[in-house]
Amino acid sequence: MSSEQEKLIAELIEKGLAGDMDSINAIEDRVLRSKVKSGLAKAKRAAKNAAVAAAKESSPEESSAEIMPSDHPNQKFAFMIEEKFPDSLADTLNDTHIQIKPDQWFEIASWLKSEPSLYFDSLQCHTGIDLGENMLEARYNLHSMKHDHKIEIRIAVSRDNAHIPSIEQIWRIGDWFERETYDMFGIFFDGHRDHRRMLLPEDWEGYPLRKDYEVQETYHGIIIPKVKEGWE
Amino acid sequence: MGILENKFEDNVVVAKLDKLIGWARSTSPWYFQFGLACCAIEMMSAAASRHDLERLGMMPRSSPRQADVMIVAGTVTMKMALRVKKLYEQMADPKYVIAMGSCATSGGPYWQHGYHVLKGVDIVVPVDVYVPGCPPRPEALIEGLLKLQEKILDERPLTRKMA
Amino acid sequence: MGVVHGEEMVLNIGPQHPSTHGVLRLKVKTDGEIISEITPVIGYLHRCFEKHCENMTYDQVIPFTDRCDYLAAMANNFGYVVAVEELMELKVPEKVEYIRVIMAELQRIASHLLALGVYGLDIGAFTPFLFMLRDRERILDMFEMTCGARLLYNYMWVGGVSHDLPKGFVETAFQFLDYFEPQIEEYNKLLTYNKIFIERTADIGVLPQDVAISYGVSGPNLRASGVKWDLRRNDTYSIYEKFDFDVCIGDGGQGTLGDCWDRYYVRMLEIKESVKILRQALAQMPKDGDVHQALPKKIRPPKGSIYSRTETPRGDLGFYIESDGSPIPTRVKMRSPAFTALSVLGELAGGWMMSDVISILGSLDIVLGEIDR
Repeated sequence: MSSEQEKLIAELIEKGLAGDMDSINAIEDRVLRSKVKSGLAKAKRAAKNAAVAAAKESSPEESSAEIMPSDHPNQKFAFMIEEKFPDSLADTLNDTHIQIKPDQWFEIASWLKSEPSLYFDSLQCHTGIDLGENMLEARYNLHSMKHDHKIEIRIAVSRDNAHIPSIEQIWRIGDWFERETYDMFGIFFDGHRDHRRMLLPEDWEGYPLRKDYEVQETYHGIIIPKVKEGWE
Repeated sequence: MGILENKFEDNVVVAKLDKLIGWARSTSPWYFQFGLACCAIEMMSAAASRHDLERLGMMPRSSPRQADVMIVAGTVTMKMALRVKKLYEQMADPKYVIAMGSCATSGGPYWQHGYHVLKGVDIVVPVDVYVPGCPPRPEALIEGLLKLQEKILDERPLTRKMA
Repeated sequence: MGVVHGEEMVLNIGPQHPSTHGVLRLKVKTDGEIISEITPVIGYLHRCFEKHCENMTYDQVIPFTDRCDYLAAMANNFGYVVAVEELMELKVPEKVEYIRVIMAELQRIASHLLALGVYGLDIGAFTPFLFMLRDRERILDMFEMTCGARLLYNYMWVGGVSHDLPKGFVETAFQFLDYFEPQIEEYNKLLTYNKIFIERTADIGVLPQDVAISYGVSGPNLRASGVKWDLRRNDTYSIYEKFDFDVCIGDGGQGTLGDCWDRYYVRMLEIKESVKILRQALAQMPKDGDVHQALPKKIRPPKGSIYSRTETPRGDLGFYIESDGSPIPTRVKMRSPAFTALSVLGELAGGWMMSDVISILGSLDIVLGEIDR
């Protein structure tokens, strides 16, 4: 490319970053237009990365109270939780879920149910998930019948220390949900009054829904895997 | 024939004892409704208004002591397999087993990754008739029961079986 | 006179028992005939549904969802397909939406008919069972006409349905509805206002509203306690906002609000509402349109997770799907309404007699395939 062309491309990219796409779209030469557009995309990406890096650099200096939530309800709820229970969020504010640390979960849950403006009185779904890299996670989908809003709370624990406070006293369906998650993943819920397996027999070995689960060969003398001799 | 010829009236039937016993056992077998899963609903439909099983003499019994044939309808899991064996042992002789549906035959759609599924009920109890399908239509179950009746007719209960 | 020493007896209502619910075991502590404590033991039908989901592609999962709640297979399909389409942000053609609603409402009628017939059978009434199953067979005929299967259909696919409605389906459906509406009156005469049935079910197993919400009970069980919550109205999906129908709640017609009779009656009212919706949908449905035009070539949802709920005959069925961009889901969790309904049995049954427990269990309308997955 000649240096004049390069200068022209740089000018058009500047105009594009400023928001003026008409001059770019008016270019007749298809090759030139595509070069300008790809350069523009690269420039935008670089600008976004720089902004994120700048935000990350400055955030440890700010206290968490200075991060203002956007208007998305999820971020507002996360902000309220962080205000009432400092140092409980384990991730930045985002639009889909609220990641918290397991230590204060029982108090947070009681507050979520009793606080009049939130009033999350129904635990809709409780999922366990194996994130890989030795991490397990429990996800709670909460919903309020009165205000008709909902949030998702995620608590990640490591496999070696998979303990989460139990919330079965707060939402009574938590009793069975937590037993099932324990049965499938091996996450222990401290404070659960009846902590035993739900779906599998009491003497089953292993936690099936973990990604590295190996089925045992026999159970009480009955062979488990499908025996394929005699086929073809 | 000699002595016996031309002796009996029209209302006397003469047959082999084996065949008589087989005929008496095969008609009207009472089934033990062991409905576990989806196939149980088709078994109930077979017993209900449209495909009536009672016209063939088959009545549902809930207790194993009163039943002749056990229809294992549905997936048998490991937790349930021990109970299937126990219930089979509680049935009184002569007893027969029909494996209804592909789950009872060979594990069904859960054969590949089902860690808790018994791959076929014939691992724990001896099966006489397999009815394939997922779920088999009520007509298919009726055909399976009729095939079982043919099998019972051809049994020879009095002769000693070769080991 | 001495003191009679009594103690509690532990009775086992074993996994095999003559009722439709499935393989459920109840450990019952009784003092004579009065129950003091009930513990349900489940897991006798655990068929590893969630493990299968992690090894099959998105469309291979659909037959497995059928087999979870086998009495309302169309509704299960619907719930899963709505969740995946929301994750992929896929829009389906209007004719497909109408077909789905028609199938879902027909399935709702069939499921409620079976639930009520079997409830009568548990109580001891044999005739309503035969009548209701006879009418249910006509609905299954319509399903068989469309997709070839009577009970487990694999009908609703991601982005469409598997077969278009055959010629003559709409006429058959209208004929069925004209035949069926007077039958509801016959059921009311046979069972609903039968004196013995009312004695067996009214004032028994009362479920208060706050207990119901805390235990996550939903669907007809929740509406019978007076809470006006129906996902087809409150959290609308598909095209349910186009139809005019009422949300039926219990009103303590024959006894206390939230007893077994209310749960039975709400299901009977819901059958009438489904007939209303069906008439509107069959009349408004567009006649031509390709049902396969929005089927994606490869189902690869973007990375992310979603929790979406739909209203099945038993309550609200939730699917939590997590995807990492590959054709195979990372995690599919099915939150079944019967699971929550069974968990409340321990609260409801204390203090009643043995035969009342059967009455309460039947009114909750559970299916073990859905509970154990």
